[in-house]
Amino acid sequence: MLAEAYWPEPGDGPPPPLPGFVHSPFAPLVAAVAGRCLRRRTPPPGSRCAVVLVSAAGDRPSADHVRATVDAGGRVGPLFFFQSVPNSVAGHVAARWGLDGPVVCLSPTGNPRADAVAEAELLLYDGDADAALLVLVEHAPDGAPTGAVAVLLGEGTSP
Amino acid sequence: MVEREPVPITGTHAVSALGRGVDAQLHAVLRAAPAFRPVRRFDTTGRRVTVAATLPDVDTLTDELTDAVDVACRAAGLGRAERAEAALFLATHGGPSTLPGGGPPVPALAGRLADRCGLGEHTRVYTSACVSASTAVADAAALIRRGDRERVVVAAGYLVEPDQFALFDAGRALATDGAVRPFSAGRQGLLLGDGVAAVVLESPDSARRRDAPPVATLHGWGRAGDAYHPCQPDPAGRGLARAVGAALRRADLDAAAVGYVNANATGTVFSDAAEAAALRLALGDQAARVPVSSTKSVHGHALEASGLLELVVTVLALRHGKLPVNAGWLGPDEACPLDVVTGAPRPAGRYALSLNAAFGGANTALLVGAP
Repeated sequence: MLAEAYWPEPGDGPPPPLPGFVHSPFAPLVAAVAGRCLRRRTPPPGSRCAVVLVSAAGDRPSADHVRATVDAGGRVGPLFFFQSVPNSVAGHVAARWGLDGPVVCLSPTGNPRADAVAEAELLLYDGDADAALLVLVEHAPDGAPTGAVAVLLGEGTSP
Repeated sequence: MVEREPVPITGTHAVSALGRGVDAQLHAVLRAAPAFRPVRRFDTTGRRVTVAATLPDVDTLTDELTDAVDVACRAAGLGRAERAEAALFLATHGGPSTLPGGGPPVPALAGRLADRCGLGEHTRVYTSACVSASTAVADAAALIRRGDRERVVVAAGYLVEPDQFALFDAGRALATDGAVRPFSAGRQGLLLGDGVAAVVLESPDSARRRDAPPVATLHGWGRAGDAYHPCQPDPAGRGLARAVGAALRRADLDAAAVGYVNANATGTVFSDAAEAAALRLALGDQAARVPVSSTKSVHGHALEASGLLELVVTVLALRHGKLPVNAGWLGPDEACPLDVVTGAPRPAGRYALSLNAAFGGANTALLVGAP
């Protein structure tokens, strides 16, 4: 493991708003915890770093808003189009930090961290990535995002 | 010892608006008859676009996935014991179900599917938008080649439903002229389509032991990111080109061996041009000579399932020896200088690429060969 970060950590409030993403803390949380982790340690120069985002419920507040709007016969805002899949904020992190390895989003079927590590290790073994940024989003029972962990793994490190 | 042989695909099944089963897919893509019709499944009042490629009398996603996995396993000749040793990789949308009777959300859906189909090993759920299924296939092949698993069933499903339809409509991503025209002049966007598919991948040793003839073989795969934008592709196509390059390297093939590309091309102005740039970057001069089409022009965009539906269609085309026509063609676009298959199907070569790209700058390439 090259670096690890949490949101919240002591002294944290809500994550800062993320331009282009509305209504939900999901994307701001992912961007904040990823940025904190990558400020502690950047991937080795020239390495292809994957982004592996693991989330059981995805952006549930946005999905619930869309469901309610469509059910009522309304029109959803165009920004919800982009944030309807977790890939978009993963791509934001990749673009912001220059991470050009694979982008993979998973819904965990077991221990979320174990799922993320297994995916990262496979990408490293297979050769499409030299490092991997794992972002694990935690949810309340109603699906609302409550916190996140980011872990940077590199070749030869152990989780 | 790590196996370097291609990974056999021993069973396939697919359902789309083109029909049920692999024969229905093949015949329809070779006829190049688009399946886009007015949506009857839910109310589209107030939407800019009101058409999609939907299959009438479709069952719930859970039931359709169950049937797809079951048929693919039977096609591969898997009995109860072989199924119990198989892992399940599922590619589907991560949000709550929005169709009546849609079943549980992921990841519970994967567990239910594995139980119903008797798949006893590990499950993994991919929610990586439009590269979900193709990433699952690449990972399955990598796990088999690493020796972790003898057999992986990859299943993927998307049924056109009101929420994603509303989102794509609001994002002005849908073609207002009711046609998908990949790489063509005058293309206006994508149209959504149903897609449910399953494939069985296994180790060469396992397929030989079972005397299971491969439908096709997966020679190479690649996954790479653009690091460019949350939802727009890199106009230079660098990420997709690296995915293609990785697939060729794993297959130990050069660009001249590629006889067909089933492109990601959604019919969107900027993303089709980015894909053409990627092909030029990855294949060099060969990019202008390799036949290219996008079968989304007939079955629509099946989102999380698109990579698997398109892989199955590509495999079928190779086996049949004919390449699908790019429907909706109006004429060439100078931003897409490719040899697009128009008019009538062409003879197929031995190897084909199936490409996919998604929001987040995620790209995949799967390189398959006729057995």
